[in-house]
Amino acid sequence: MKNFNHINAKSLEEAIAILSEKNTVLIAGGTDIIPLLKDTVLPEYPETVINLKTVPGLEFIKEIKGNLCIGANTRLTEIAGNRTIKEKYTALAEAASKAATPHIRQMGTIAGNICQLTRCWYFRKPQNRFQCVRKNGNKCFAAAGDSRYHSIFGAVNGCLAVNPGDLAPALIALNAEIITTKRIINAIDLWETGYPSNTVLAKNEIITEIQITEPSSGTKSTFIKFAVRKSVDFAIVNCAVSVGKDSARICLNGVAPNPYRAEKAETVIAGKKVTAELAEKAGDIAVADAKPLKDTAYKVQIAKILVKRALLSL
Amino acid sequence: MHNNEKINGSGKRTSFTHATAQAQAAGSIEAIPATVKDFRCPVCSKDFSGYPELKQHYTEDHPDAVIPVTVSLNINGKDCEVLIEPHWTLQRTLQFRLGLTGSKLMCDRGVCGSCTVIMDGRSVLSCSILAVECEGKNIQTIEGIAANPKWKPLVDAYCKWDAMQCGYCTPGFLVSAKSILDKNPHPTDEEIKEALAGNICICGTYPRHSTAIMEAASIMAKEGE
Ligand SMILES: Cc1cc2nc3c(=O)[nH]c(=O)nc-3n(C[C@H](O)[C@H](O)[C@H](O)COP(=O)(O)OP(=O)(O)OC[C@H]3O[C@@H](n4cnc5c(N)ncnc54)[C@H](O)[C@@H]3O)c2cc1C
Ligand code: FES
Ligand code: FES
Repeated sequence: MKNFNHINAKSLEEAIAILSEKNTVLIAGGTDIIPLLKDTVLPEYPETVINLKTVPGLEFIKEIKGNLCIGANTRLTEIAGNRTIKEKYTALAEAASKAATPHIRQMGTIAGNICQLTRCWYFRKPQNRFQCVRKNGNKCFAAAGDSRYHSIFGAVNGCLAVNPGDLAPALIALNAEIITTKRIINAIDLWETGYPSNTVLAKNEIITEIQITEPSSGTKSTFIKFAVRKSVDFAIVNCAVSVGKDSARICLNGVAPNPYRAEKAETVIAGKKVTAELAEKAGDIAVADAKPLKDTAYKVQIAKILVKRALLSL
Repeated sequence: MHNNEKINGSGKRTSFTHATAQAQAAGSIEAIPATVKDFRCPVCSKDFSGYPELKQHYTEDHPDAVIPVTVSLNINGKDCEVLIEPHWTLQRTLQFRLGLTGSKLMCDRGVCGSCTVIMDGRSVLSCSILAVECEGKNIQTIEGIAANPKWKPLVDAYCKWDAMQCGYCTPGFLVSAKSILDKNPHPTDEEIKEALAGNICICGTYPRHSTAIMEAASIMAKEGE
């Protein structure tokens, strides 16, 4: 790793002031950003790294008037093991328990998880060997190269890399809101394929909290992940679903540059009793718009089956 | 003659037993420098008598460079202070400032768990933690486990069950194992597998670990009675 200035921020105001200057990055658990710095993936190596862990009051799980509030610095282990989250917001607890490894879950935070950069191997190639569209280059190397882990729903801004996160689909299925220092963003609107960030957040905008409105009684949710190994590996495809009396939300990840909400499949399920046929139909419809690349046809099958299995396991 | 006798560099026979390993680990903890002694400039390798002098040197000779910082840590119960640059990881600091070579660097990317240490009760990856962010933290490394007689049954069980081949991943596994036994003195096979799911062994010793840990757990429970 190359050298940088390091500041343990004492308050959000301090962190925002430094972020507004040129060439700074935030570090929370560090599990994503430290490898990025080691490999000098960011085209501009940061002059200053700002530690958010030293800002007090960002690590909590609370229920306020029935709604769930999770502080930005809360570690994945805490989310995976929290009783309330397991009972009422099951998809989120399951997603947190299946991300990465036990060690990374004890370090990694919820905000870091949803802000992590894509794992595309061209994008992450050390020393910026591939000047791809995400780095203001003019092509996506996955289009002609090895795209086995890339999109099945086409490109966004020319990029075929997928969003790798496990918590993102769960937050979308649970209709979470992301509270930042500037505004409230509905989870579905947080991601955007741009660069340097993976999100719509401004350079000096910091996530402070995630809020989820209490699901109506009878609502159930779940998360399933397909990966090569049970531990360590990123999802090839993952899926979160939340089904209530007359509503359904289905979100896939690992299949498109941004988390993919299968809205048409939701209408198949909403207000109905989930049967094997209906779940199968929802799976088919969820991938009806897929345009797989030469190497990703297999992911269409996986996505379809995950939707079906998730619905049937509720 | 024991088959664990080794011939050391001078040709003298030394017997490598748990006692020698324990003494070696205790020695390396003992040898942790409590205060910074070398104030060497990482840019030009000049030595200084103290931190103010080093800082002064930076303002004069390297005005644009990042100044090294001092960090206070508690490693295996011993308070110490290190002088590092902000981009140094905890693993690098343990190895090159404190002489603790047990936390191994394998992947350097948070994937393999060979650099696991226990920080404030959590098992975490020292390759992916900046040392500047560890100010005031309590850190336990494999040396702390090896030096503590309480954990002899765990080390013994690892040897007895041959839960290692090349041994490079083993310190990381042992630290994760200690961490689960701290929280759960009687873990099941499933619970152990889950707790060790962040440790990768290229030699494929996986099945041996839960056998060793469960045996150590029952011996430690008996000893505790
Ligand atoms: C071996 C390995 C396996 C992994 N497997 C998985 C997996 O299976 N599933 C998965 O989902 N993830 C996985 N990850 C990715 C990820 O590192 C973790 O999931 C973790 O949650 C990231 O959180 P962090 O706090 O460590 O992030 P950091 O590395 O600290 O930060 C990540 C990014 O988020 C930004 N950020 C952090 N906090 C905020 C905030 N409050 N406001 C705005 N921006 C912020 C940072 O600037 C940085 O750009 C894996 C990582 C590794 C190394
Ligand atoms: S060296 Fe730290 S996880 Fe591999
Ligand atoms: S014993 Fe060789 S890597 Fe595990």
